[in-house]
Amino acid sequence: MALHGLTLALGLLVGMSVAAHAAPLDEPLKPLPPIPTLDPKRVQLGLRLFNDPRLSVNNTLSCASCHRLDKGGADDKPFSLGFDGKPVEVNTPTVFNAGLNFHQFWDGRVDTLEEQVHIVVTSPAEMGSTWESVVKRIADDPGYAKDFNDAYPDGVTKPNIQGALADYERTLQTPNSRFDQYLLGNTDALTPREKFGYQRFKEYGCIACHQGVNIGGNMFQKFGIMGDYFVDRGNPTRADEGRFNITGDENDHQVFKVPSLRNVAVTAPYFHDGSAPTLERAVEVMFKYQLGREPLKNDTTLIVEFLKTLTGEWEGKPL
Amino acid sequence: MTVLRRLGLAFIGVLLAGILLFMYINSGAQQAASYIESRDLIRLLKQQDAIWDNEILKSRIALTHNYDPLVSPLHEMARLWQRLDAIEAEPGRHGPSLWEAQRDEYLKLVKEKTRLVEQFKSHNAVLRNSLAFLPTGEDDIQGQFARLPDTYRLELQNVAIDTYDLLLSSMEFAQLSSPDIAAEVLLGLNQLEVNKERLPEGLLNSVEVLRRHIGVILREQPKVNELLTGIEMVPLADRLDTITNLLEKDQAKAAAKYERNHVYLLVFATLLVLILIWLGIRLIRSFAEIKRVNNALQTANDELEQRVEERTRQLKDTQSELMDTARQAGMAEIATNVLHNVGNVLNSVNISADLVSRKLRSSKALGLGKAMQLINEHTDDLGHFLTEDAKGKLLPGYLNQLVEAIASEQQSLTDELAQLSKSVDHIKDIVATQQSYAGANSLLEPLVVSELLEDALRMNSGALTRHHVTVIKEYGDVPRIMGDKHRLLLILINLISNAKYAMAGVSNHARNMTLKADVVDGETLQISVKDEGEGIPEENMTRIFAHGFTTRKEGHGFGLHSCALAAIEMNGHLTAHSEGPGKGATFQLQVPLKLAEGEP
Repeated sequence: MALHGLTLALGLLVGMSVAAHAAPLDEPLKPLPPIPTLDPKRVQLGLRLFNDPRLSVNNTLSCASCHRLDKGGADDKPFSLGFDGKPVEVNTPTVFNAGLNFHQFWDGRVDTLEEQVHIVVTSPAEMGSTWESVVKRIADDPGYAKDFNDAYPDGVTKPNIQGALADYERTLQTPNSRFDQYLLGNTDALTPREKFGYQRFKEYGCIACHQGVNIGGNMFQKFGIMGDYFVDRGNPTRADEGRFNITGDENDHQVFKVPSLRNVAVTAPYFHDGSAPTLERAVEVMFKYQLGREPLKNDTTLIVEFLKTLTGEWEGKPL
Repeated sequence: MTVLRRLGLAFIGVLLAGILLFMYINSGAQQAASYIESRDLIRLLKQQDAIWDNEILKSRIALTHNYDPLVSPLHEMARLWQRLDAIEAEPGRHGPSLWEAQRDEYLKLVKEKTRLVEQFKSHNAVLRNSLAFLPTGEDDIQGQFARLPDTYRLELQNVAIDTYDLLLSSMEFAQLSSPDIAAEVLLGLNQLEVNKERLPEGLLNSVEVLRRHIGVILREQPKVNELLTGIEMVPLADRLDTITNLLEKDQAKAAAKYERNHVYLLVFATLLVLILIWLGIRLIRSFAEIKRVNNALQTANDELEQRVEERTRQLKDTQSELMDTARQAGMAEIATNVLHNVGNVLNSVNISADLVSRKLRSSKALGLGKAMQLINEHTDDLGHFLTEDAKGKLLPGYLNQLVEAIASEQQSLTDELAQLSKSVDHIKDIVATQQSYAGANSLLEPLVVSELLEDALRMNSGALTRHHVTVIKEYGDVPRIMGDKHRLLLILINLISNAKYAMAGVSNHARNMTLKADVVDGETLQISVKDEGEGIPEENMTRIFAHGFTTRKEGHGFGLHSCALAAIEMNGHLTAHSEGPGKGATFQLQVPLKLAEGEP
């Protein structure tokens, strides 16, 4: 049976490659997997919840307030504002393709989207709410109650709200970026300069951390391997300690989850502290503090051009 | 007692069945199945762990640059573990807290390994990057050297060589991170630091970059090696083996229990079967008992039947005896009856005989003798005598008178003898009738009812005359019938005789007896004898037909009885009616009318 499925899958792949007139490339970067098939009722509930400000304590913030799907799944501020109008500690990462990250949050404090929902809803800096009140608000809405009863055997519960949101987020993938097309064998999808940019990206060692399906998002790394970024930046904060705040491990000072580079061109500003307003600046910082290299002239530009090919589509439209 | 025993037996049976059911439910087929599944899950876990290790090593030797495979086994392992935990955490599978201890240990190890792998990923990425950069950095420096003016180049020859040496030792260090080589690299780095001061500005930067990267290698390589060793040291596979051992041990225990259960099952099943067999035997025995009792009952029944039969036979014997007795009694009755009737007729015979003998005694025939004597005395002169003699002259006249007298006398005698003969015939008939009682059906013959009545009257004529009974005859128009003459006659004679007796004491009025014969409704012949005698009192009305009932001193009590019997034998009946004592009585015989042949 499995063999059968495998043959079928291979057949499909072969069919696709025939259509693209080329085989997929074997690169350290991988194209996005297909969007997972999930219960549409739950996904639909997740969509409603995602846009529902009742998740925040004072009905001011929904998930979509900071994770704006029209802004690359994040917002354009270095720090989004919490329910109380005060800026949060770190820059808002994009919600797009978040399901493909091995951990959630900059400091990777949780493994799953469900737990991520829990942290955000109850965080005193973000939504500041409690599950008791959230569940009550949702359950008191007859429309929600009915749909929850349809989608879940036990109706409106904390795990079901988390699950619905997480399921919705799992569907938030941005396929069909030009680079993915290239990876899938359509080598004409990239211009020569973009291909050079990709080649530089690999040569300079960006690829050491930004690889895999999500081009990042699968490991932790110290920010400032080749130099102390925070000293140079000034005003070190608690959030700058990154994963250390979670593990307390001395090895984890200023260690962060390597962010995904998908849609990176539309998610400025960059880094956990939102300190890089442009992609060029972000690439320069990476060269200096992570790679310990000085790029040759134009290489930054080339890399930035390559990075722009990583922008995918949402609902059929490029982000 | 029996009920108690049965209840006890039923209880034991139910108990055994319950135990069997319990054991069946408890029996560990399921356990065995889940054990196999658990073993399979552990195998898959080990496989994922090995894949993980493999991917780590591949990253270590820079075979792949994609770290996704270092993440995915963990997801798969978490999924597998969840399934395994769901199976094994079920109560009763392991000793208390045994599984929990294993689970905690496993999760701790996974966490530790994950932590080390995360660190490995980070450090390895940095190390790989720097190692990959080394040749580029070196090329960069050597390129710059090459571009330097020759004099300068000669001067810096040593620096170039030192840098090259440093590169080599760094690469050597990447392969074999011994302290010697580390010291060598450190020495090279210091040398580079010293050489740096002699370098021109442009070259300085490149050397600095290389130096930093080598520094990274020097720092990260031992770290990566240490992490790899650490990862290798995480006894995750061993833990899984331990878990396997635990499973095996508990499975062995479960199997032993299963086996023991089987033995128990066998024992209890055997017990149950034994009870069933015992019950079966009991059943068979009870069947035998029932059969035996049935047989006994059958025997008793047969005996009883036999006894009943015997008794019936005895009763039959008694009955036939009784019947014989009855027959004898009947015969006696018949004899009495016959004799009574014969007596009645004999009376007539007697009278006739008396009459004949008296007539003969006073017969005028004697005169013939005297006449003959006279003739004989005058034989010689007979003519003279007859013509002349006074006496003789009278003789012919006398003889003529005598002839007349004798003729009348003879006629009278002949009549009387005819009557006698009739009576004798009647007697003969009575006797014949008596014989017919013995079984023969009555003999039907054509009869004229009036003649029959006259015969009956004639048979009683003497008595009737003696008793001065006037007979009033009211005969209707009765056709010739087929009838039993003797029975009818018997009845009539008796009734007439009774009427005559009944009126024996009557002196205040004429003794009238009325005889009636009629046909009623065209199908019944009705003959009645009415007297005006003493009558029948009410209390005797029902008894008069009974055998032995009589009101007369010399009576037998057979007359009316036999009459009633005879009437019944002719399919008719005899009834009596009386207004009461002194008011006379009417006896009425009714028999079905059977017309004689030739009658209309």
